Amino acid sequence: MDIIRNFPAIAILLCLFAGIFSSGLKEKAAGLVNSCLIVIEIGLNLATLLYTISLGDSFVYVMGKFPAPWGNELRVGVLEALLALFFCVIMFLSMWGGKHKLKDEVDPEKTFLYYVLLDLLLSSLLALIYTNDLFTAYVFVEINTISACGLIMIRQNGRTIEAAVRYMIMSLLGSGLLLLGICMLYDMTGHLLMSNIHEAILTIVAEGQYTIPLLIMIALISVGLAIKSALFPFHAWLPDAYGYSTVSAAAILSSLVSKGYIFLLIKIMYRVVGIDIFRNSHITDILFLFGLMGMIFGSLSAIRENDVRRMIAFSSVAQIGYIYMGFGMGTEAGMVASIFHILSHAATKSLLFIAAIGLTEVSDGKRQFIYLTGSGYRNKMSGVTFTVGSLAMVGVPLFSGFISKLLFSQAAILNHGKMLPAMIVLAISTILNAIYFMKTVIRIYTPVPNSPYPPMDLREHWRYATALFLFIVLNVVLGVFSDPIVRLISNGLAMLG
Amino acid sequence: MITLLTMLGIPFFFGLFLCCNRNITNRKTLLSIVSLGFVATAVVTVFSWTSLLEQEITVFWLTQNLPLMFHLDRIGLLFSILALVVFLCAGFFSFSYMEHEKKERRYYGFYFLVLAILQGLCFAGNMVTYYLFFELLTLSSLPLVMQENTKEAIMAGLKYLFYSLCGAYFCLFGFYILFQNESTISFLWGGNLLADSIVAHPVLLQVAATCMIFGFSVKAGMFPMHGWLPTAHPVAPAPASAALSAVIVKAGVLGIIRVIYYQFGAFFLQGTKVQTLFLSLSLITVFMGSLLAYGEPVLKKRLAYSTVSQVSYILFGLFLLQGTAFTGSMLHVLGHGFMKASLFLCAGAIIHLTGKTRVEEFTGLGKEMPILLWCFTISSLGLIGIPPTGGFLSKWYLAIGALDSEIPFFSYVGPVVLLLSALLTAGYLLPITVKGFLPGAEFDTEKITKKEPNLWMLLPVLILTVLSVLMGILPNGLLGFLGSVFR
Amino acid sequence: MSVSLLCIVILFPMLVGALIPVLPFSNRKQMELYLFAMVVLNSLLVWTLILLHPAESLTVAKFTGNLTITFRLDGMGMVFAGLVATLWPFATLYAFEYMTKESHEKVFFFFYTMTYGVTLGIALAENILTMYFFYELLTLVTVPLVMHTLTREAILASRKYLYYSLGGAAFAFIGMIFIILYGDTISFTYGGVLDLHKIGNRVDILLLIYVFSFMGFGVKAAICPFNSWLPQAGVAPTPVTALLHAVAVVKSGAFAILRLTYFSYGMEFLRGTWAQQVVLAITSFTIVYGCGRAIKETHLKRRLAYSTISNLSYILFGAALMSPAGLVGALSHLVFHAFMKITSFFCAGAIMHQTEKHYVHELDGLGYAMPKTFTIFTLSALALMGVPGLAGFISKWNLAYAGIESGLPLGYIGVGCLLVSALFTAIYMMTIVIRGFFPGEGFDKNQVASFQDPNWKMLLPLCFFTVFILYFGLFSSSFIGFLQSLI
Repeated sequence: MDIIRNFPAIAILLCLFAGIFSSGLKEKAAGLVNSCLIVIEIGLNLATLLYTISLGDSFVYVMGKFPAPWGNELRVGVLEALLALFFCVIMFLSMWGGKHKLKDEVDPEKTFLYYVLLDLLLSSLLALIYTNDLFTAYVFVEINTISACGLIMIRQNGRTIEAAVRYMIMSLLGSGLLLLGICMLYDMTGHLLMSNIHEAILTIVAEGQYTIPLLIMIALISVGLAIKSALFPFHAWLPDAYGYSTVSAAAILSSLVSKGYIFLLIKIMYRVVGIDIFRNSHITDILFLFGLMGMIFGSLSAIRENDVRRMIAFSSVAQIGYIYMGFGMGTEAGMVASIFHILSHAATKSLLFIAAIGLTEVSDGKRQFIYLTGSGYRNKMSGVTFTVGSLAMVGVPLFSGFISKLLFSQAAILNHGKMLPAMIVLAISTILNAIYFMKTVIRIYTPVPNSPYPPMDLREHWRYATALFLFIVLNVVLGVFSDPIVRLISNGLAMLG
Repeated sequence: MITLLTMLGIPFFFGLFLCCNRNITNRKTLLSIVSLGFVATAVVTVFSWTSLLEQEITVFWLTQNLPLMFHLDRIGLLFSILALVVFLCAGFFSFSYMEHEKKERRYYGFYFLVLAILQGLCFAGNMVTYYLFFELLTLSSLPLVMQENTKEAIMAGLKYLFYSLCGAYFCLFGFYILFQNESTISFLWGGNLLADSIVAHPVLLQVAATCMIFGFSVKAGMFPMHGWLPTAHPVAPAPASAALSAVIVKAGVLGIIRVIYYQFGAFFLQGTKVQTLFLSLSLITVFMGSLLAYGEPVLKKRLAYSTVSQVSYILFGLFLLQGTAFTGSMLHVLGHGFMKASLFLCAGAIIHLTGKTRVEEFTGLGKEMPILLWCFTISSLGLIGIPPTGGFLSKWYLAIGALDSEIPFFSYVGPVVLLLSALLTAGYLLPITVKGFLPGAEFDTEKITKKEPNLWMLLPVLILTVLSVLMGILPNGLLGFLGSVFR
Repeated sequence: MSVSLLCIVILFPMLVGALIPVLPFSNRKQMELYLFAMVVLNSLLVWTLILLHPAESLTVAKFTGNLTITFRLDGMGMVFAGLVATLWPFATLYAFEYMTKESHEKVFFFFYTMTYGVTLGIALAENILTMYFFYELLTLVTVPLVMHTLTREAILASRKYLYYSLGGAAFAFIGMIFIILYGDTISFTYGGVLDLHKIGNRVDILLLIYVFSFMGFGVKAAICPFNSWLPQAGVAPTPVTALLHAVAVVKSGAFAILRLTYFSYGMEFLRGTWAQQVVLAITSFTIVYGCGRAIKETHLKRRLAYSTISNLSYILFGAALMSPAGLVGALSHLVFHAFMKITSFFCAGAIMHQTEKHYVHELDGLGYAMPKTFTIFTLSALALMGVPGLAGFISKWNLAYAGIESGLPLGYIGVGCLLVSALFTAIYMMTIVIRGFFPGEGFDKNQVASFQDPNWKMLLPLCFFTVFILYFGLFSSSFIGFLQSLI
C-alpha cells in the first residue's frame, strides 16, 4: 500500500497539469476535465486519509528524492488528508451547483480559462495543505492569489474588476508580509523546511537569542495570513469579491481559499514556530481580540446589508472571527474547535451561496431582499437549503454549526482568562446571526400574491438540486456524526505538533 | 355535617336557582319562590344553631394542610343571628321596594348567595375558610352594589371590588406569614401562635398582624381605606344597602375579632405598636365619619358615612383588648346592625314613595308617614346613644372599657372622641326628625296626603326598631351570653 | 416496550403532522377525524407511558463525547407531559372550529401537531442537551404558527419571536456548556450534578453563568425585560396563543428553568447566593410588571398575554426560591395556570370568533348574548385572581408558603408582589367580566342579539377545563402530594 504515499504529490501535480492541459481545450471539454479531476482528487485524498488513519502517524514524502535542505517535502497526516478531502468535496459540490449559471456569468469564449483557474486553485490549495516547506508554501500562496483574482475577475463587469483589484492589493500586501516573515525566519535559522526550522527555533529560544526578531516574525506572518483570510479589520476586500464574482467562485473563495491560508497559519503555528512559543508571544491574544471583534462587526455589517450575497459574504467575516477566536485561546481544545469550524463553515457557507443563487434566480436575478420575498415558494429546494444553512449558522442542533459552537464554548470555558468575553461574544454573535439569517428566511417564506416571477423547474435543474441535497446531507452529517470527525481532528493535531 | 351543609346549601341552592333560571318571568312566581327560600333558610338555620352549637366540623381538605373547617362558636352565632334577621327583614322589604326595578330575579339570586356565604363566614373554623368566604362575599355582593346598572353604580361597584380585594390580599399576606408560625390552623381563643415563634421573630408577627387587621379593616370601612363605603353603599337599592351597611361590613369586624382574639391572641398584641396604631386609626375614623356625615346632604350617603363612624366604634372596642370593651363592641355589632338596617330601610321607603333623596327635601315628612318617621327617630336615638336603646348600652360599655383598660392617652381620649362623635351623630340625624315632624310655620300642610308605606315595607322596619330597643331594655340575657365568650 | 414508548410519543405526532399535506383528504371532515383520532391516540399513549412510568432511559443518538440524545420519564416530566397530553386533544378540537374562519389550515395543523411531539420531547428529555435540542426545535416549529396569518403584523411578530427565542437559547447554551464541563454527568439529577472539586474558586463565574442561562431560558418564559415578543405574538390564531403561548411554549421555558435550577445546578449550590437574589428580584418585578401592562392594554388577547407574562414569573419565582417547597409551588402553578389561562384564552377566542370583537371596550353586554362563555370566563378570571376554592388559590398558596418559608427578605417581597399582582389581576379581569354583565344604562340589548354561544366543539373544551379548575381548587391534596413525592 505504500504507493499511497505518492498520492498527495500526484494530486497536486495532477491539478497543475490539468490546468495547463485545459488551457488548450474548449469550454465543454475543460469543464469535463475539471469535473473528472475533482472526482479523482476526491479518490486520491480519500485513499490518503484512510492510509494515514491506518498508519496512525504522519509521513514525509520527499519530492524527487532530494534530501533536505535542497529538496522539497510534503508532509501528510490525518488532518491534512481530511482537509484535503473535504476541500475537494466542497469544491465539487460548489461547481456542480453553480454550473448552470456559468453561461450567464462568464463569456463563453473565456469559460475554459475559468476552469484552468479552478484547477490551479485546487492545486495550490492542496499544496498549501500538504507542504512541509515554507518556500513552496509561499509559491503556492502566490498561485492561489493569482488564480483567485482571476476567478473574481472572470465575470466581467465593472464591479468585479474593482473588487479584483482591491483583492489583489490586499492579498499582495498579505503575501508581502508573509514573505518578509519567511525571510526573517530564513535569516535566523538558515532553513526553509518546516521541521528543520522548528529545531533551529527551539535552540534559538533556548539560548535566548533573537527575541525581538522572533516576535516580529510571528507578527508579520500572522498579520499577513490574517489579511489574506479576511480577518477583521482586514476584511474590506471581502464583500465585493464574494458578492459579485460567479456563484461557484464565491462559494469556493469564501469556503476554501481563506481556509487554505488559515490552515497554513496553523501549520506555521505548530510545525514551524511551535505552539508554546507562539502562545507565549501573545500574538494569540491579539488574534483573539480581532476574532471577537470580527464576530460582532461582521454580523453587524451583515445586518445592515440589503443584498443577500453581500450579507452572506459579511457573515463570512464573522465566521472567520470564530476561527481566529479559537486560535486565540491558545489551547488544543480551541484549535480543535477552530479546525472543526473550518469544515463546518466551509460546508455551510458554500451551501448558502449556492442556495442564494437559486433564490435570486427566481426573483429576476435581483439580490435585494425586497425582490426575494416569497422566493422560498418559487424555488422550494433553494428555500429549504437556505433555511438549513441559516439554522446551521445560528447553531441549531442537528446541524454542523451547533457542534462548532459547542466545541468553541467548551474550549472557552477551559481557558480561564478568556472565558467570559468569549462566551458572551459567542452568545451575542449567535443572536446577531439569528437576526440576519432568520430575517432572510422569513422573508423568503413570506408569500406575495401574484408574483411576477416564474418558479424554478427543479427537474430541469436536477444537477443544481442534487448539489443542494448533498450539501444538506453534508451539513447534517457534520452535525450529527461529529464524534469521529472531532476525534480525527484531535489525532491529526497531535501528529502535527 | 349534613345539617351544616343543609344550612349553607339551602340559601345557596335558592341563589343559584334564581340566578341561572331564566324562565321565571312572572313576578308572583318569583316572589313565592323567594318567600319559600327565606322561610326554609330561616328554619334550617335556626335548627342548626341549636343542634350544632360548639361543634367543630371539618368538611374536607383543600390541600394537605388546609382543611375547610367550620366551628359554630358563640361569637359566630351572634353574627349569624344578626345576618339572618337583617336579611329576612330587608328581604321582605324588597318585595315591594323592588316592584319597579329591573333584574329582580338576579337581585334575589345574589341576595340568597350572599346570605349563604355570610352564614359560612360566621361559622368558619379557621382562617382559610374565613378567607374563602370573605372573598366570595365580596364577589357575590358586587352585583347587589351594581344592581342599578348606572354608570355611577358600576364605578362604585368596581371601587368596592378593588378596595375589598386589596384588603383581602393584605390579610392573605399576613396569613401567609402567620401560617408558618402557628401551632394549629383552627381558631383558638387566646391565640394559636407557636411559643418559639413569639420569641424568635415578634416583629415579623406584628407585621403580619398589622397586615391582617388592616386588610379586614378595609371591609369595616376604617380610615384610610374607607373610601369605597360612602360610594358603594348608597348606590345599591335600599334593602341591599341595609344589608351591606348593617351586616356585610361586620364581616370585617368578625375577621378582626378572629385575628386578634383567635389567632394572635390579645396577650401578644397588648401594649404593642400595633394596638396603638389601630386605636388611633379607629378613633380618627369615628370622628371623621361623623364629621363627613354631618356635612352630607344626601340621606343614604349620610347614613353610609355614619356607618363608617359607627363600625369604628366597634373596632375601637376590639383594639382595647379588654373584656368590657369587647362586650360593648359586640353589643354595638348587634345594635348598629339593627339600627342601621332600619334607617336604610326607612330611607328606602322614603325614596320609593316620594322620590326624595336629599335631607332638606324631607320637611314635613312626619305628616305624610308618621309611623315610618317614628321608627327612624327611634333608631336615630339608638345610634346617638340615648337610653333606653341598645346604642346607649353599647357605648356605655365601650367607654367603661376604655377607662378600665388603662392604656395611656387612649383610655381618656377614647371616651371623649366617642362623646364628640355622638354629638355629631345627633347633629346629622335629629334634624331630619325635627324637620319631618315640625316643618315650620311657612310649610303648607294642606298639600299633605297620607303616604304611609304598605305592610311589606313597614313591618321589617318596625321589627328592626323594636329589636334595637329591646336590646337596651332587656340586655341581661345578651350580656350573659357575651360574658361566656370573653374568658 | 414501555421504554420505546418514550420515543414513539415524540415521533408519532411529528409523523402525523408530516402526513397531513400528503394524505388525500376528500373533505375537511376527514382531516379533522384523522387528526383528532391521532392526537387522542398519542395522548393515550402518553398516559399509558405515565402509568407504566418505566425507570430506564432510552438513548437515541450520540453527539461528540458523552453528549447524547436520551429520553427518560421522571416525576417532573410526568407532570409536564401529562399536562400537555391532557390539553392537546381539547385544544385540537377547539382549533377545528376556530380555524373555519382562517385560511390554509393544512399548514397550520401540520406545524400544530408537530409542536405536540416537540413539546413532549422537552418534557421527556433526560439530559440538558436533549432538552436544549427540543427547545430550539420548538422555536422553529412554532414560528410558522405565529406567522400563520401572513399579515405584516404577524411577520414582524414572528421575527421578533424568533430573534428573542434564539437569542435566549444562545445564552442558555452557555449554561449548558458549563453543566457539560463542570457536572459529573449531563443527566438531570435532583439536587444538581455540579462537581464542586472541578469548580474550585470559580463559583462567582458559575453563578453569573447561571443568571445568564436563567435569563436565556427565561426569554421563552417571557421574563422582563425579554417579554415583548409574547404580546406581539398574540396575532397568531387563538388556538396557538392559547395552547402555545400560554402553555406549551412558555411553560417549556419555565420547565427548562426548573430543570436547570433543581436538576442541573442544584438548589444547594445556588441557595443563598447573590444569583438567587438577582433572579428573585427579576421575577418579582416581572410579576408586577406584567400585570401592570395588562391593565393598560385594551386588546383582549394582548391583555391576556401580559397576564401570562406575570403568571409565568410566578412559576419562575417558585424556581428562584430554590427550595423543595418552591419546586412544588412552581410545578403546581405550572399545571394550574395552564388550565386557567387556556380557559380564558379560549373564551377570548370564542368571543372573537363569534363576534369579531377584539377590544375590551367592545365587549359591553356580551354576557347576555354569550352567557356560557362569559360565565366560564368569569370563573377563570376568579381562578387567576386566586379566589379560594379554585385552582389559582392553591398554587399561589404553595408559592407563598415557599416564599415565606425561605425567610429571605426578597421572598417576603416576592409574596407581596404575588398579592399586588392578584389585585391587578382582579382589575384587568373583572373589568371585562363587569363590562360583559353590566353594560351600563342606555345599553340596547339588540346590539348583541345576533351573537350567541359557540357550538359544542368550542364549549366542550371550555367546560372540561372549568371542571379541572374547580376540581384542583377543591381537591388538590392528592396532586400536591404527588408533587411532594417527587422530591
